[in-house]
Amino acid sequence: MVIRLALAGNPNCGKTTLFNNLTGASQHTGNWPGVTVEKKEGKLRGNKDVIITDLPGIYSLSPYSPEEVVARDYLIKDRPEIIVNVVDSTNLDRNLYLTTQLLETGIPVVVALNMIDVVEKNGDKIDSKKLSEILGCGVVEISALKKKGMDELISTAINTAKIKQAPVIKEIFSNKTEKFILEISSVLKGKVEDCLLRWYSIKLLENDEKAAEELRLNSQEKSIISETVQRFESEFDDDGESIVTNERYNHIASVVKETSKKAKKEKLNTSDKIDRIVTNRILALPIFACVMIAVYYISISTVGGWMTDWVNDTLFAETLIPGAESWLQSVGAADWLNSFIVNGVINGVGAVLGFLPQMIVLFILLAILEDCGYMARIAFIMDRIFRKFGLSGKSFIPIMIGTGCGVPGIMASCTIEQECDRKITAMTTTFIPCSAKIPIIALIAGALFGGSVWIAVSAYFLGVIAIIMSGIILKKMNRFSGTPAPFVVELPPYHLPGLKTVAFSTGGRAWAFVKKAGTVIFVACALIWFLSSYNWALQPVGIEDSILESIGSAICGIFAPLGWGDWQATVATITGFIAKENVLGTFGTLFGLSEVSDGGEEIWSFVAASFTQLSAYSFLVFNLLCAPCFAAIGAMRRELGNKGCLFAVAYQMVFAYAVALCVYQFGMLFMGGGFTAYTLLAVIALAGIIFFLVRPDKMLKRKKVEVSAT
Amino acid sequence: MLLSMAGSGKSVEIKKISGKDETRGHLASMGFIEGEKITVVSKMAGGLILDIKGTRIAIDRGMANRIVCEGVA
Ligand SMILES: Nc1nc2c(ncn2[C@@H]2O[C@H](COP(=O)(O)OP(=O)(O)OP(=O)(O)O)[C@@H](O)[C@H]2O)c(=O)[nH]1
Ligand SMILES: [Mg+2]
Repeated sequence: MVIRLALAGNPNCGKTTLFNNLTGASQHTGNWPGVTVEKKEGKLRGNKDVIITDLPGIYSLSPYSPEEVVARDYLIKDRPEIIVNVVDSTNLDRNLYLTTQLLETGIPVVVALNMIDVVEKNGDKIDSKKLSEILGCGVVEISALKKKGMDELISTAINTAKIKQAPVIKEIFSNKTEKFILEISSVLKGKVEDCLLRWYSIKLLENDEKAAEELRLNSQEKSIISETVQRFESEFDDDGESIVTNERYNHIASVVKETSKKAKKEKLNTSDKIDRIVTNRILALPIFACVMIAVYYISISTVGGWMTDWVNDTLFAETLIPGAESWLQSVGAADWLNSFIVNGVINGVGAVLGFLPQMIVLFILLAILEDCGYMARIAFIMDRIFRKFGLSGKSFIPIMIGTGCGVPGIMASCTIEQECDRKITAMTTTFIPCSAKIPIIALIAGALFGGSVWIAVSAYFLGVIAIIMSGIILKKMNRFSGTPAPFVVELPPYHLPGLKTVAFSTGGRAWAFVKKAGTVIFVACALIWFLSSYNWALQPVGIEDSILESIGSAICGIFAPLGWGDWQATVATITGFIAKENVLGTFGTLFGLSEVSDGGEEIWSFVAASFTQLSAYSFLVFNLLCAPCFAAIGAMRRELGNKGCLFAVAYQMVFAYAVALCVYQFGMLFMGGGFTAYTLLAVIALAGIIFFLVRPDKMLKRKKVEVSAT
Repeated sequence: MLLSMAGSGKSVEIKKISGKDETRGHLASMGFIEGEKITVVSKMAGGLILDIKGTRIAIDRGMANRIVCEGVA
C-alpha cells in the first residue's frame, strides 16, 4: 500500500528541514516565513511506499496568498492518507490554531512537536501525552534540526495511516456553538461523507463561500442553513467567522494551560534587543546597506576574488591551457580538435567555471543571511521605503533571493498577497544582478576599471533604482494599479546559522552552477566556437570571415547608439539570454580564437581593447537590466502567463535600452563629444522615462473617490 | 485608541479590527482577535513590532491604524 504523507504547518516551523531529513532531499530552508512556495514530493528513505509531500506554510485552512492555496488544495482535494502537522512547540498558542482545523478534515493526523530542543533549552515543559489525549491524535516530540524523534514519528504516522484512524472528534466549541453545528450537520447528513460532516458544518457557520459552493445545496437547504447562521450570529452578536475563531483560540488557551509550563522569561529577549538596533528608525537603512556592501565586497573583491584570480591566472593561463595544448599536440590531435578544446572548452567554459570560488563565497554569505533570521527584517525595513512607491516590503524578499538566482527569486514573489504587487515583483526581480551576472560585472570592472569594487556596488544600486523606478512606472498602468496589501509578517527569532544548513545550501547552489557550466554553457560555447571557426560553406576560416561575424555584423547596428556596436559584444549579449554566464564564455572563446598568440594574456585585455570605459559601462547596464536568461523568462511565464510574460520581456528590453542609451550618450556629451542624432535619441528616451515616472495616476483619483465613499 | 498610538513597551488589548474580510481572516489566523492582549515591542518610523501569543509580528503603520485597542495595566 502506498501511503501519501503530507507535511503541514505554520510557516517557518521546520517542515522542509524535516522533509530533507526524511527523504534525503536538499530542498531550500531558511529562517523566515515563506521559504517553500511549491509542493515538493519525495520518498521516505528506506521505505519507497511512503511518499512525503512538503507543503508551503499556512496559518489556517482559509488561504490568503497563492502559495497557501497550494497547501490547502492539496490537503482538502487530494486528501493524503496521513497529515503530519509540524508544530513549532515554542509557540503552541498560535500553532495549534491550524491543528484544530486539520483535525476536522477527517484525515488521520499526527502532531509533530518540532523544535523540542529549543523548548528544553528554555527550560519549558510540554506534556505531550496529555496533549495527545486532549487533541485526540498522536503527538510525537521531535527536533528536525537535531534529527531527534524521527523513527518514532514515522512509525506513529505509518501505523495511524494503516489503520486509517481519523482523529477522535472532540467538541472544542462552547455548548451553544456545538448546538448550532449539530443543527447544520443534520441538514447536511447524507450529502457529504460522515467524516467531513463536522468540517463542512463549521465552514457553513463561518459563512465560507467556497465550502458552500462545493456542497451544491438546493434552495430549501440553503434557506434553512442561512436562517440557522443568522440565529447563530444574532445570539452571539458577532459574525460567524469571528465567533468560531474566538472559540477556537479559547479552547487552545485552555489546552496550552493544561499541557505546558513556561519558565519565566525576560521582557526583552536577545532577538528583541537585536531588533532594537537593526530596525531602528535611523540605523536600519545604513546597517542594511553595510551588510549588502560587505556581502559583495567580500565575495567579489576579497576572498572570492583572490581565489578566482588564482584559478584564472595560474591554473588556467599557466597550467591548464599550455598543458592541454602540448598534450594534444603530442598525441597528434587534429588542429580543429585542439582549437575546440583550448578555445571552446577551456577558454569559454573554463572562464565561467573560474568564477566558482567567488560564487561559493557569495552563496555562503547568502545562506548565512537566510538562516540567521535577518531576511524578514529586511522586508520590514524596506517596507517603509517601498510603500512610498506603492509596493510592499515583501517584494524585497524575492529580490534578495534573486541576488543568488533569478528563478527562485521570481517564484518567491508568490508569497505577496496583492496580485498587482506580485506581478510587478516578478517583472522587476531580475533587475538585481544574480550570481550569473557577477562574471560580467567582474569582467567589466577588471578590464576597464582596474578591478574597482564600486562597479559592483553601483550595479546593485542600479538594480534597486531600476526596481523602484519600474514600480512607479508600472503602478500607474491600469493593469498593475492597486494599493499594496497591509504588511503583516512574522519575525522569527534570530539564531546562529547552522554549519550544516549553510553547507547544504551552498553546496546545492554551487553544484547547480557547475552543472549549468557543464551543460548549457558548454553547448553554447561549442556553438560559438563552431560559428566563429567556420564560414557558411563550412570551411575552417579565421574569425573575421566566420558565420558568427556575418550574423553579428548584421545586427550589431542596433547597439551602436549604446556605444558598443561591434559584433563581438552583440553576440555576447545574445548568448547571454541562454545563460548570463555566456557573456563571459563568449568573450573567452572569441578571445582564444583571435589571440595574437602572445601567451599568458588575459581575456581582460581583449575586452579592454574593444571598449572605452563609458561604452563598457553602457554594455554592463544593458546586460544587467535587459531580459533575463531563458530559465528566468520561463519562471516569469509561470507567474504572469503568456501575455504578461511577453509584456515583461518587452518592458525590460525597452527599459534597459533606454537607460544604457542615456548613460552612454549623456556621458559622451559630458566628455565633450558634441550633440549628435544619437544624443537627440537619448534626450527623447530620458523625456519618455520622466514622463512615465511623473504622469498623473489616473487610478489614484478613482481610489480616492472609493475611499471617501466608504 | 489606535494601536499606532500605543507607546513602545505598552501592553494593550485589541477591541476591534476594521478592514477587508480577507485581511481580517488572515490576521485572525496569526492571532489577532478581539480581546487578545498584545505588547508593542518596538516602534520605528514605518511600523511596529508586536508580541502576540509569544511571537514577534511586524506590521506597517497603516495596518496599525486599523486596529482599535485599549491600554491595560
Ligand atoms: N532549533 C531548531 N531549529 C529548527 C528545527 N527545525 C527547523 N529549524 C530551523 O527553523 C528554520 C525554518 O526551517 P524550514 O525547514 O525552512 O521551515 P519551513 O516550515 O519549511 O518554512 P516555510 O517553507 O517558510 O513554511 C530554519 O532556520 C531551521 O534551521 C528544530 O528542530 N530545532
Ligand atoms: Mg519550507
